Amino acid sequence: MELEVLRELLESNIKRTSNPLGVSERECGKWAEDLDIPERGEVLLYTGCLYQMAPQIELFSDLLRRLESIGPNFLDLSMKLYASFLPMGIDVSAPIKLMKKKSRYLNILKNIAYALRESGVKFACLREEPYNGVLYHDLGLDELFEKQMMRIAEKIREAGAKEVITVDPHSTYMLKYHLTEYLDVEVFHYSEILLKSYEPTRKGLEVTLHDPCYLARWSDSTEQMRELLRKAGVILREPEFSRKFTGCCGGPIESIFPNLASKIAEKRLEELKSTGADKIVVACPICLLNLKKVAGGLEVLDLAEVVV
Amino acid sequence: MNLREVSSLLIEASSNSFLRTSLDRANLSYWELRKSVFSKYPYLRELADRVREVKERSLERMEELTQIAMESVERNGGFAYLARTPDEARRIVDEIVGDSRIIVKGKSITSDEVRLREHLTSRGKEVYETDLGEFLVQFIGPKSMHFISVSIHLTRERVAEFLRSFLGEEVDKDDIESMVALVRKFLRRKYFEADIGISGANAFAADEGCGFIIENESNVRLSISLPRKHVILVGMEKVLPTMLDAWRAVEVITRYNGYKVSSYVNIVRGPQKDEFGPRELHVIFLDNGRVESSRDPILGEALLCLRCGACQYLCPVFWIVGGYWGGLKSVYSGGIGVIWEYVTGSKDEAIKHSFACLLCGRCKEACPMQIDQQKILREIRKRGYSEY
Repeated sequence: MELEVLRELLESNIKRTSNPLGVSERECGKWAEDLDIPERGEVLLYTGCLYQMAPQIELFSDLLRRLESIGPNFLDLSMKLYASFLPMGIDVSAPIKLMKKKSRYLNILKNIAYALRESGVKFACLREEPYNGVLYHDLGLDELFEKQMMRIAEKIREAGAKEVITVDPHSTYMLKYHLTEYLDVEVFHYSEILLKSYEPTRKGLEVTLHDPCYLARWSDSTEQMRELLRKAGVILREPEFSRKFTGCCGGPIESIFPNLASKIAEKRLEELKSTGADKIVVACPICLLNLKKVAGGLEVLDLAEVVV
Repeated sequence: MNLREVSSLLIEASSNSFLRTSLDRANLSYWELRKSVFSKYPYLRELADRVREVKERSLERMEELTQIAMESVERNGGFAYLARTPDEARRIVDEIVGDSRIIVKGKSITSDEVRLREHLTSRGKEVYETDLGEFLVQFIGPKSMHFISVSIHLTRERVAEFLRSFLGEEVDKDDIESMVALVRKFLRRKYFEADIGISGANAFAADEGCGFIIENESNVRLSISLPRKHVILVGMEKVLPTMLDAWRAVEVITRYNGYKVSSYVNIVRGPQKDEFGPRELHVIFLDNGRVESSRDPILGEALLCLRCGACQYLCPVFWIVGGYWGGLKSVYSGGIGVIWEYVTGSKDEAIKHSFACLLCGRCKEACPMQIDQQKILREIRKRGYSEY
């Protein structure tokens, strides 16, 4: 897609909602409403909002792919039109908020919170969650990106946190590598925490494991999720490309090259499928969306749907 | 910034089922070879780290090392030149070539970078690439698709069709060996007819003024020993302090190519005083953006690249579209190719193609120098907004 159009689209969403896809910070904080989690504390569970945004990402990427298939020109034109509606308060993605399908992604977050609580971790949650900034980072939109990092730092500081628990690989990377410029906190992916004291429910499953790039290569975290799955009695099948050589799901380029992104997802699915297991376990909302899209009869599960 | 052209090109490439099959085959075979090389030589990672250290220190003093290398070349009786731009490089070559008519070439992406073949051809010279894949790409196009597997996009049908019209001989598309033999037979005559042999170099030792050239087809040894003059065109980033440093780089390049050893490594010192080898050796060191980039805190890392092709084999985007990523206007391919294009060629092209990178980082794992391509490519995107 044309970069200016994409940028315009993101910026008008940001202006309305502080979120590139128009999911407000308040909306992103809602998942924890009934869980009786404090707002302040030394340990903060920060979601980064990708799970909350999953339905929008799904709809948006599907739309882009369809439009690009008609023709790159058509895609740009439609997106220009879309971007011009947004400032008037017309958002075609708005009805998603009412749809049921978002509950799956919110349940993943709830599962993580339950598991942390069960393993005795005391943690707080933000009522208004700022977005993790990955799209700005990836597109090289550094002005937006830095602003977002500062916003996250401010929110974490306000909550009085010294330690942050993250739920997805991209937030983990952002906080470990980029937030440190603004704030001194220790960052842990939830799988590290759970490994210490959580006893997963045992499940008789056989699955293929898909390492998310940003956990395997930037957080040096490949064994934690394997160990958790083993504790849950899950039989693991390893694809040819795994751990540090894991294959990307294609997600990061879907906003600009949606069709190419799909082909990359299909290729990765082929690799994962070749182990023979009929379930795939991922630990990233973007991988979950992208592999699910091309999975056919295979079931794609999030780590937190299996071990909790 | 208009990415429509890039988008259409990549969609078209990803729908090319022959290309997809070839890439699958080449990449998987590379992966298997790589695993077996690593299991036989577990010290390889450590050796690569050592080469990285030497390269890092060499890049800091690239100008000085190039001067030392040039003095060594002259001491050995050769001629040394420093070309700051592609145009300067072409002019130097023109002077060396003079009235000579036939030129044979070893595979050298640095020579592609300065469009040397096209330039010489436009001046009425008969130029032949002698690397088999490169020979096919020279005549069939559209570009060399990979640092190593250059003609990965060409079907045997297309090759047979070309050979039929080029050589005027009947060829069987299913008999690859015979097709190879035909090209070899054709080139063999050219080695003897040529006055000039041009090659690149994989590493260059400053202390003794020696070029190290890796090859597998014996075409380079013929190209650089039969003609009267040998011209080496080498990027300044390839200059290393000592013979041993250069050898270590050669070992790392070869092994990361997936070979335990390559068929041949040529070490070229200088002109032969007897009547046998070439009587003149000309070494052209090419800057073309390298010095400027070596001072850039982010881009500088790219110059560590040994051009082994490991990152291209293992990149998920490259796996789908091959060398079309980088664009047909660039001689470079894939993520590292986009970076090289930014350093040496068109920044506009590089910026557009930088957006196809997933930032997944598998290239960094694959790379002997552990170059953080995603960081550099993200930086190129970022600079793109202000440059547009």
